[in-house]
Amino acid sequence: MRVSRSLEVWKMGTINYLDALRLQEQLVSNRKAHKIPDTLLSLQHPPTYTLGKRRTDHNLLIPESDLKKMGAELHYTQRGGDITFHGPHQAILYPIISLRDIGLGARNYVEKLELTMIELASLYGVKACAGQAGETGVWVGERKIGAIGVRISFGITSHGLAFNIDPDLNYFKHIVPCGIANKEVTSLRKETDLVLPAEEVVHEQLISCFARQFGYSNLLWKENGLIS
Amino acid sequence: MALRTWASSTANAFRISHASKSHPFPAFCLSRCFSTVLDGLKYASSHEWVKHEGAVATIGITDHAQDHLGEVVFVELPEAGGSISQGGSFGAVESVKATSDVNSPISGEIVEVNTKLTESPGLINSKPYEDGWMIKVKPSNTSELEAMMGPKEYTKFCEEEDASH
Repeated sequence: MRVSRSLEVWKMGTINYLDALRLQEQLVSNRKAHKIPDTLLSLQHPPTYTLGKRRTDHNLLIPESDLKKMGAELHYTQRGGDITFHGPHQAILYPIISLRDIGLGARNYVEKLELTMIELASLYGVKACAGQAGETGVWVGERKIGAIGVRISFGITSHGLAFNIDPDLNYFKHIVPCGIANKEVTSLRKETDLVLPAEEVVHEQLISCFARQFGYSNLLWKENGLIS
Repeated sequence: MALRTWASSTANAFRISHASKSHPFPAFCLSRCFSTVLDGLKYASSHEWVKHEGAVATIGITDHAQDHLGEVVFVELPEAGGSISQGGSFGAVESVKATSDVNSPISGEIVEVNTKLTESPGLINSKPYEDGWMIKVKPSNTSELEAMMGPKEYTKFCEEEDASH
């Protein structure tokens, strides 16, 4: 029996990485205590490099002091996955959802995150696909357009996905992205022949793709702390 | 930082319980999802198993759990000597770029951790009930063990969980 499932969507604009992390920790705790419904954060970060739980900082190719000089931050996190870059013109989704309530394990959850980004790319005529085993993420040929890094605690998710709309790809030159050498990073701007609409439109399309993949029929939009 | 190399595990395989000859306990067959459930163990709704032998309880995650995780590439375990409380997290596994906390179904003192999992995290996928064990605990409250599910209950729990979605 399919019940109507609600998703509260927060459109956050550009938000600092640590602020987003603290917010997620609070939301995970609230979701675990059943105080809030499944929640989706839609945002982008200022230039930020992040590492996962395995602390694979051998994949950072320049000293941390150089990152600071270029105005980028570096953060170690508890999420899965390797090193990556987040920055302007990259659409990020952080779903804070209960996997137990929807009956998904980690593998199926990540597959649906991949399908979310694949579906978005297809709206612009870009044929993307999920990575091979061990290369979780979304690829256009040999070029990576979307990355995933997730944390699951008591069955509640945090962190999520990052989709390259049109970030400055030079930032990726300072890392071995996701620990996979010899593969390029790409963006929707590079891969599509179509003219891209305003980024807000692409963010909303990404949210719709997510809602469709995960079967949310009821979206509650929240901007600047107000439910609209 | 030291460069760590990870032993890559074999691909996940669905296993039918009667095909495995090395199980020390008779197994139930889940007709729907082909995960193995062993007799003689206790099970938690968060998909950990506990084997209680004398003063020590061994804890790991079930075949159903490892199948839903995907290939495990990294395991984080606590130090021996610490204590754990029921429902508390004692470590984490990483698979498909997702780190999943692992919670203890019982309280007690951690007396041993499976250091083989550092070099061979894939043992959790290939041998979740044997070499893929995670920690050994001296239980502080045996009634917590008694309250856990037996193999038939757990099998039914998995079937219901999978069917409802």
